[in-house]
Amino acid sequence: MELLISVWTFFQVNILTQPAFFLGIIVFVGYLLLGRPVYDALAGFIKATVGYLVLNVAAGGLVGNFRPILAGLKERFNLSAVVIDPYFGQTAAQQAIEGAGRSFSLMVIVLLIAFMVNIVLVIFRKYTKVRTVFITGHIMVQQSSTALWLVLFAFPELQDAGVIVMLGLLLGTYWSVFSNLTVEATQNLTEGGGFAIGHQQMFGVWLTDKVAGKFSKNSKKLEDITLPGFLSIFKESVVSTSILMFLFFGIIMGILGKDLMMTIDATYTGERNYIFYILEKSLYFAVYLQILQLGVRMFVSELTESFQGISNKLLPGSMPAIDCAATYGFGPGNAVTFGFLFGALGQFLAIIGLVVFKSPVLVITGFVPVFFDNATFAVYANHKGGMKAAMIIPFISGVIQVIGGGLAAYLFQLSQFGGWHGNFDWDTLWLGYGVIMKYGGYAGVAALVIGMLLIPQLQYRKNKKHYFMIAEDYEQYKEEIEAENQTEFSTEAA
Amino acid sequence: MKVLAACGSGMGSSQIIKMKITNVFKKLDIPLEIHHCAVSEAKTLAPSYDVVVCSNSLLDVFKNVDQSKTKIIGLKNLLSEKEIEEKVREIVLGE
Repeated sequence: MELLISVWTFFQVNILTQPAFFLGIIVFVGYLLLGRPVYDALAGFIKATVGYLVLNVAAGGLVGNFRPILAGLKERFNLSAVVIDPYFGQTAAQQAIEGAGRSFSLMVIVLLIAFMVNIVLVIFRKYTKVRTVFITGHIMVQQSSTALWLVLFAFPELQDAGVIVMLGLLLGTYWSVFSNLTVEATQNLTEGGGFAIGHQQMFGVWLTDKVAGKFSKNSKKLEDITLPGFLSIFKESVVSTSILMFLFFGIIMGILGKDLMMTIDATYTGERNYIFYILEKSLYFAVYLQILQLGVRMFVSELTESFQGISNKLLPGSMPAIDCAATYGFGPGNAVTFGFLFGALGQFLAIIGLVVFKSPVLVITGFVPVFFDNATFAVYANHKGGMKAAMIIPFISGVIQVIGGGLAAYLFQLSQFGGWHGNFDWDTLWLGYGVIMKYGGYAGVAALVIGMLLIPQLQYRKNKKHYFMIAEDYEQYKEEIEAENQTEFSTEAA
Repeated sequence: MKVLAACGSGMGSSQIIKMKITNVFKKLDIPLEIHHCAVSEAKTLAPSYDVVVCSNSLLDVFKNVDQSKTKIIGLKNLLSEKEIEEKVREIVLGE
């Protein structure tokens, strides 16, 4: 008995609560279960573990780089600065979780359970009406992190097991139901591309698709517009991030002043020109983001291979829900830049508005939400509504991202850690979820899960005949719709 | 043949492209060495690869790459093995 306990304690202290090793073991076991040779499984273990440790190095660097600026803002203006970006948000959530004395490996377990919930819902799709499997690994990591903090924030006394079950159910249902919501719009946009969106703005995509048509009167399409060539540099995250950070931190640190920064940051002794200090600080954000993405990429590759394998084995005929960027090829080349521009505009105006109205939280634009969410919205908006829709919808989204994001960071006490998730669904839906969990308790969570599960049922009711066909056989779906339209014409003519 | 799959973040789409390309090359019976990364790195790494594959929307990032040495393939549908096979045959194999 003693031996068992000491083995378990060893496992718990050295592996279970060490996210890097825990992830590695999961990958190792996953590969073995998929029938891969032991040496492949070993390589997988190493890549996953090292990838996670790289992420930790980057997260530490990011926090350290940001700290003097956060301190300066607090001291001079009593403001918290929050970057709305999923990588910053993930780092902030990790800090908050570890600060509350919980282990970040919970995030990995939650991810697995949520994934299994998705799979189960799809296996029983005849009853659940869920057609899609969410497999975008790095997104699952980011969302598990933020959602984990939300649950710990709302239920601080809950034991690990309870947290895992609750969050697994909530997150897994969100992944299933909301990726399923994007099927019709995406099949329509891609003319049967065979995928749905599994990303961070699925609710936003559904809204955009519903609303964009209203702008189509007298609107040109983006295909007929050419944008200036220099804008293409913004498609690269390194360039965009560096420019955005220099813009924001240039203004902030300019206002804070050289003397204040010298007292706060011991490494800055004033010999160097202040502008170069600002430039260096700004570029270091891009540096740490790159390293962070490198780490995530390493362990996510391993996770995704196993996920793909599992979902192929268990769920033939289901529809993969993947990265929103997969839709970019289906819109005109400038749609992506257009969405980014108008989204950024919306964000900047909203930020200025927050400053003017003396918000306690200063929101800073992060590359991922302003680019990916709004680029995606622009593609869907242009498809149904042309240029006007592709301008207005990303703009409004930018405003919502900032206001919702700032509010979320403030309410969920992440502003001290400097980051909030930032993507559209997380500035709207999950802002609401967090509030409901905090004030609605377990009943609130149950209501959310049940409410979400009802959505595919309602979708099915509206379109019983073609509901599964549109996902499984788009060609046949199109034929039947055309045939129905023909019969309508002939009966009208008669 | 050395192939590089590239996407905006280096994680989501490029992984999918990588998987699909592996299937296509297996079918065409061409030995394959494949990596994936973000589009900014792909720009610099391109000369050391035979083929770079990315979404249509990112093709302009590679406009200065020497296409006699490295073939660039832009995809409309990242999931379509049919499209990948067509383009590989046309651009890489010159059929």
